[in-house]
Amino acid sequence: MNFDFLQIVMLLGTLICVLGVILCIRTARTRFDHIEAKGTDVNMGIARVPALAFAKLMAFAALIALPGGAVFLANYHTFEGVHQVRGCASCHVMLPMVNDMRDPNSGTLAARHYKNGWIAEDQCYHCHSDYGLSGNLEAKMTGFRHLARYTTRTYHEPIEARVRFDNKNCLNCHAGTLKFEAVQSHRTAHEQLVSNQMICLNCHGQSHPTSVQRTPGSKDYASLTEAMK
Amino acid sequence: MRLLRWEALCAIVAFALTLLFILVPGPYPMAIFTFIAQPLFAIAAIGYLRKVFVDLRRRRSL
Repeated sequence: MNFDFLQIVMLLGTLICVLGVILCIRTARTRFDHIEAKGTDVNMGIARVPALAFAKLMAFAALIALPGGAVFLANYHTFEGVHQVRGCASCHVMLPMVNDMRDPNSGTLAARHYKNGWIAEDQCYHCHSDYGLSGNLEAKMTGFRHLARYTTRTYHEPIEARVRFDNKNCLNCHAGTLKFEAVQSHRTAHEQLVSNQMICLNCHGQSHPTSVQRTPGSKDYASLTEAMK
Repeated sequence: MRLLRWEALCAIVAFALTLLFILVPGPYPMAIFTFIAQPLFAIAAIGYLRKVFVDLRRRRSL
C-alpha cells in the first residue's frame, strides 16, 4: 500500500479524534470527589497508581493533550490542503482561475505555465505560496477572511484581489536563472521588481481571466465555472 | 475538582467537528473547524485549567 503524508495525517487525526471523544465521555462521567473519597488504586500493568491521579491524567489527555494534537493535525491538513489545485477548486469562486489554467487554448500566464509543464504539480500554490504554512501572517489572515466571506456568502462576483501580488512568488523560481538574467529589462528593473514597485504582469500579460470574463452573465462565465473533473 | 462535564461536552463537539473536516475536507468543514471547533477546544481547555487552578489553590499547593 502506498500512503502519502496527507493520508497519514488523516489516519492519525481520525485516531486522535476518536480517542479524544472516548476519553471525553469518560471524563464527563467521572466524579472526582467520589474517586477521592474511595481512595482506590488503578492497576496499569507496570505500576499501580491512585485512581484519582489516573482520572486526572485521563482528563488532561482528553482536554489538553489530544485537543492539541487534533488542532495541530487539522491545521496541518488545512495548510497542506491549500497546496493542491483540487483544494483551490473546491470553492466556486476559484473555478474560473482553475478552469482557465487547465484550458490548453487559454493564453493567460497561469495557463501557459500549466500547459508547458513549467510547474509539475500544485500549480496554484507555487505562485500563491503565501497561503501555505511558510507564508506570512497577513496571508493567513487574508485566507481566513476569504474563508469567512465564502462560507457566509458575503462576497460578490467577480472577486477582486485586495492585496498586491508579491513578486517574490515569481522570483523564487525565475530570479538567478540564465534565461531570466539574460533579459536586459530584468536587470534594469531588478530593484523595482524585488521591492514590488513594478509588477511582473506589466510585461507578461494577464495571469487569470479578466473580471469581465468572471462576471455572472458574461459569455465565458458558464464555461469558466464548470465543476472541475 | 468535582466534575468536568461541560468542558468534556465542548471537547466532544469540537472533536466531532474536527473529524468531519479531516475526513471530508472542503470550505464549509474548514470554516466549521476554524471558527467553531478551535474556539470550543480553547473554551474546554480554559475551563479545565481554571478548575485545576482552583483545585490547587484549595489544596494550598499554590
